[in-house]
Amino acid sequence: KRPIRFIQSASLTFATSGGSKEEALLLSAWQRSHPRVTKTQPLTPAMYRTAAKRLLGAGFTTSRLLRLPKPRPTTIIPFSYCTSSMNHTESPIGNQSVNPNQSDPTAAREEGHRRDESRKPRAEFEEEQARVLAASLRHVPRLGWTEEAMIAGSRDVGVSPSIVGSFSRKEAALVEYFMDECLQLLIDRVDSGLDLQNLIPSERVSKLVRIRLEMQIPYMSKWPQALSIQAHPVNVPTSFKQRAMLVDEIWHTVGDGASDLDWYVKRTVLGGVYSTTEIYMLTDDSPEYRDTWAFLDDRVKDAFDLKKSIQEAKYFAQDIGAGVGKSFQGLMNGVMQTMSTRGGRSSAF
Amino acid sequence: MALRSISRRFGSRVLSYRSSSVASLHSHATSFGFQQVKEEEKSKLVGNVFTNVASSYDIMNDVMSGGLHRLWKERLVGKLSPFAGMKHLDVAGGTGDVAFRIFDAVNSVKRRALRKVDEDSLEETQIYVCDINPNMLNVGKQRAAERGLGDNKSLVWVEGDAEALSFDDNSMDGYTIAFGIRNVTHIEKALAEAYRVLKRGGRFLCLELSHVDIPVFKDVYDLYSFKVIPNLGELIAGDRESYQYLVESVRRFPPQEKFATMIADAGFEKVEYENLVGGVVAIHSAIKL
Repeated sequence: KRPIRFIQSASLTFATSGGSKEEALLLSAWQRSHPRVTKTQPLTPAMYRTAAKRLLGAGFTTSRLLRLPKPRPTTIIPFSYCTSSMNHTESPIGNQSVNPNQSDPTAAREEGHRRDESRKPRAEFEEEQARVLAASLRHVPRLGWTEEAMIAGSRDVGVSPSIVGSFSRKEAALVEYFMDECLQLLIDRVDSGLDLQNLIPSERVSKLVRIRLEMQIPYMSKWPQALSIQAHPVNVPTSFKQRAMLVDEIWHTVGDGASDLDWYVKRTVLGGVYSTTEIYMLTDDSPEYRDTWAFLDDRVKDAFDLKKSIQEAKYFAQDIGAGVGKSFQGLMNGVMQTMSTRGGRSSAF
Repeated sequence: MALRSISRRFGSRVLSYRSSSVASLHSHATSFGFQQVKEEEKSKLVGNVFTNVASSYDIMNDVMSGGLHRLWKERLVGKLSPFAGMKHLDVAGGTGDVAFRIFDAVNSVKRRALRKVDEDSLEETQIYVCDINPNMLNVGKQRAAERGLGDNKSLVWVEGDAEALSFDDNSMDGYTIAFGIRNVTHIEKALAEAYRVLKRGGRFLCLELSHVDIPVFKDVYDLYSFKVIPNLGELIAGDRESYQYLVESVRRFPPQEKFATMIADAGFEKVEYENLVGGVVAIHSAIKL
């Protein structure tokens, strides 16, 4: 009961802090449809933000998040790029090689319609920047994650390349946009009816991570550059946040299952699995990245086994403790008895 | 250095605010430093100032700012991020400081290596230096010749008025004005012209002496401005009045937020400003969309 009340109070504070009534209602509708929230799962702001973003899209991010305790302008704007650009019919994204799997059109339209209802008008320059970034992605396999790709992208859109100068941390903006867009594609793919029912949790995780990593295949030759850009100290907060959101999303989709591990540990473990697989993929030459998927399955199995091993270790420790306790008790009893008999004997002297 | 953004929002402006802004613009147009002058006379008086200081302009810049003006201009050009094939206009750029920096940024070895990759950019870079004062332009041309750029087709020296530019609409990728906009009689006209000549996606950048708000530092700065600078002017350039005008005109210029609003009024998007040295200098930037 406690977590549900937490969400309700969270949605109230969210509503009073400036969110509209309808958005608060949407949030409570989400609560009702997701009764899986168990007592063991602490609700961090990140978690319900992720879910709320799915429902509310761009309008939520640009206007609302700015008022939450930890405002993050750098991630907000890129995220809203992809949601709005998904709604633009003239945007080249849908036809890009970036998206190998088209999401179901009716589901996407529904999602888009829902987003349109609650979306606030975005500043025009943000739209323009989003369009430039989307067009730049086409040039990345050839030019890398660089200003040149962005200049070429801006020429495609018909805007002066000077606009590239207005992006803060230029190449990072492009990489972050791509990461947000991939997350959105993953969400859309899941929403449009991905079949996860017949799979055990470890296989679900594998499948989701695989879908996400496959989105990077067209850019694999330049992906090391993207990783190094993300690792720059200036860019680390944003890239860390994006990865955290991704991992959060995957776990949320997989469902809690019968996991007893701590919520944060789960995210960290999956983050590790994702990152190691991503890096393994960089040097994988096998046809269709077979080796990478095998590596991924092994890592996921290890992670789930780790959970089992920790559980077993806990039980073992408890048993030993009980055993030691018992034997200590027996020892003490023996000692007391000896003392009392000896004392008895001595008193006889 | 604090970066504050004002994004252009769709909405109506408050009428009273507009009338007060008109009043202050009028006061800028009729002020020559702390003196009151007629609008028509202001540009003549400013012209005289710069005719007098042209020859020692660069030295005085170095002395007054302790060499910091170079860093400020580097920052300005960094923000612009020039690219090969760019058409750039530097207004009130008489002695060519900013123009030379842009030229170097575009033609540096690193850029040339990358240009091989960018096959689309077949057009040559063009940097136009526009100034109302021919003396300042002559100093600039001299400096170009000293650098060996005297015949270079990329640098074009044009005499013109910031309020009535002779360039076509939508022809420039970038527009910079460094330490020039406070000398313009009608700021809003200069901004409107900047908006006119810029292409879609083009950037407007303005480097200008601005207002300091930090308590103790403000007094130090005022002391330095009014006591030290005119004396330096007399000592080095032999012209106290011009430098008195300079420090007074800085005080009469609208503060950062106000100027940012004016830029937004001209039609620009994503208007931001960055204070350098606690507000002594501010770089305002905006995009035309």
